[in-house]
Amino acid sequence: MSTGSVEVIYRGIFQKTLAKNICRGIVLAARREGKIGIAFGRYGDSPERNGIPAKQFAVVSDNSEELEEHLAKYEPDNNDVTIVVDDALCKGVESWAWYGLQPINKLLADGGTLVVTSTQSANKLIKTVHCKGAPYNLAIVKSPASFSGLWVYKDDHTDVRLLGALTKVAPQIVSLESMLEAIKEQWKDDLKVASAKKAYNAVESTPVGADQGNDEVPFSFDLPGWTKMEEGLVIRGMDAKPQDVPGRDGGYVPTRNETFKKFSTRTMRPVINFDTCTKCTLCWLNCPDTCFDITPDGFYDANMEACCGCGVCEAVCPVNECVTMVNEEAFENHDSQWEMWGKDKEGYLAWLSEKITHLPARSHGFHHVGQYAEEIADDPA
Amino acid sequence: MPDTDVDTFADFIATQVLDPWKGPKKVPAEEYYTSGHRTCQGCESAQLMKLMAKAGGPRSIVLGATGCMYVANTTYYSTPWAIPWMHTQLGSAGSAATGTAAGLKAMMRKGKMKKEPINIIAVCGDGGGADMGLSAISAALQHTQYNLLILLYDNESYANTDIQVSGSSPWGANSTFSPPGKVKRIMNRRWKKNTAAMLASGHPECRYVATVCTAYPVDAMNSVRKALSIGGPTFVHSLDPCPKGWDYDPMYSHELGELAVETGIWPLYEVEEGKLKMCGKSKRIVSGQFKRKPVREYLRRQGRFAHFTDEDIEYFQSKIDDMWEKWLIPGVIPFAAP
Repeated sequence: MSTGSVEVIYRGIFQKTLAKNICRGIVLAARREGKIGIAFGRYGDSPERNGIPAKQFAVVSDNSEELEEHLAKYEPDNNDVTIVVDDALCKGVESWAWYGLQPINKLLADGGTLVVTSTQSANKLIKTVHCKGAPYNLAIVKSPASFSGLWVYKDDHTDVRLLGALTKVAPQIVSLESMLEAIKEQWKDDLKVASAKKAYNAVESTPVGADQGNDEVPFSFDLPGWTKMEEGLVIRGMDAKPQDVPGRDGGYVPTRNETFKKFSTRTMRPVINFDTCTKCTLCWLNCPDTCFDITPDGFYDANMEACCGCGVCEAVCPVNECVTMVNEEAFENHDSQWEMWGKDKEGYLAWLSEKITHLPARSHGFHHVGQYAEEIADDPA
Repeated sequence: MPDTDVDTFADFIATQVLDPWKGPKKVPAEEYYTSGHRTCQGCESAQLMKLMAKAGGPRSIVLGATGCMYVANTTYYSTPWAIPWMHTQLGSAGSAATGTAAGLKAMMRKGKMKKEPINIIAVCGDGGGADMGLSAISAALQHTQYNLLILLYDNESYANTDIQVSGSSPWGANSTFSPPGKVKRIMNRRWKKNTAAMLASGHPECRYVATVCTAYPVDAMNSVRKALSIGGPTFVHSLDPCPKGWDYDPMYSHELGELAVETGIWPLYEVEEGKLKMCGKSKRIVSGQFKRKPVREYLRRQGRFAHFTDEDIEYFQSKIDDMWEKWLIPGVIPFAAP
């Protein structure tokens, strides 16, 4: 009697097909061993939105009672493996309002394995992931995050590489042999089989201690019970008055939805060179997330608790080298850039130049017809 | 002279006077739709909500038909709205707007609330507005005694439920309901509905109908302000690029809106007091000062058209060429001249 479950945490829409391929692949392979299983998406994530963290699961079992028990949960916990297909999610995920910031390893069983696609080192990632309080393992599949969209899938073998790696870290769920057969049957492509096998051989686990990791206490909320909710499904709106922030008199800091910060949606963030800024207003005016605070001296300061990293501000900025989108992995906090600049202009410029070296920016979706084929051809791996 | 004063039940209520803002630097700082909505990265419909709330100001009521701008903005007991907002059913943006306007008018007449002009804006998506709610919008535009605005945010599909075809989806676009296959490549064979011109020509008493695009934020806000000031029921149709359903990198949200206008796919115009005026780049397309860009530039940037062959692109181009070269009123009214 045994049941295994795998959690896949991914970027909504951008990695929906990737997550589906992984979960489906696990179940199809397990079926070859006479097991039963199901792959499914978490209900609350639907409708998915570009970039907002979402989850899919695969549960396999050798008996239907245990499988059903797992399915009776809102999201399976104590997962044998948590697969993270974008390493920026290691900072934690916030999927909707009142959700708080959920550590990436929260639903991983003690002693389970966190599998991450990343080009970063294990040491760096361990520092990013919240401290679990129990030992677990970290396995890295060397790869940048694979992003595509709803219609055109970037078939760079990330799906089968993760499936191959999974059979190494959790052979009890499904064996490599069954997985390779399932991949062959599913895609009818020997190259995909070879990729899975290669990833199986390459992946290595690093043990992570109970007290290792980011010691930040992730923000959370006490959910309002039905007795606290108002009649007629009334939700209190935002205050139309701006926030009163010390040092920001004469500027404008809009009130912000405190229960949904949304910054875990972000894979890139804008860095702003205030020395070249002409105060043209366009970043502020075109930001769909109203993330720019107006400063007392008339600059626009991207608020990192509200920015979800779409990149429209960089696209509309008419000045060269004013707004630049930088890979989120280069940052450790949400501090105001304008305040940093105000304190030490030269130091800020040095900081800014260092951050901008974290280019090229991440692939963020579809740019033009044929692009994914070009990118795969260019990739030495 | 027949008795034209049909509004025998209520006193006339003047609208707010919302003057246009001359350029982005004149746009005020106040936000009435803030952060913390569960929309996609680069969501231009969220951008439109922000602009609309700014343009309408604090004394506005928003009614939202089901769609992305309902679901994403009321995620689990929280909201980014700083002005009153109420959900209404998918097809009932028009009815909700008329009902709210009538209700407020009655309350003011009975002295139950202060007599003051309050903006009433009903927002609906292309599914809720151009498909299901078309009859209710039509009815709302006939009730000329009420001041209200119907704002249609058109992302060219039922985007909230993961992209099904609507009457506003472009020809050939990939969607959950029209996936291209090996035998049949083009599954959505309907041409996009000409909603704004249909409503303008079908409701000659309606004093203001306009098309806008979020890529031109100041113009979009000024259209909303004019629609709210002019009196009576009005209609504004906005094209909002949708990174999820159109399948493109969210950073191109603004650029795709510009391309839609520059290729001639999305004409900008307003019909004010029965007079048609082409706006922005569309005006320059008609006058010949601006040469339309090839639609290929727009189409090949989006995953929803990735299956298009050269032949498909040529067909699309020929339909757009017809729109500007053969239509009775280029970009607006499609009949051939007699």
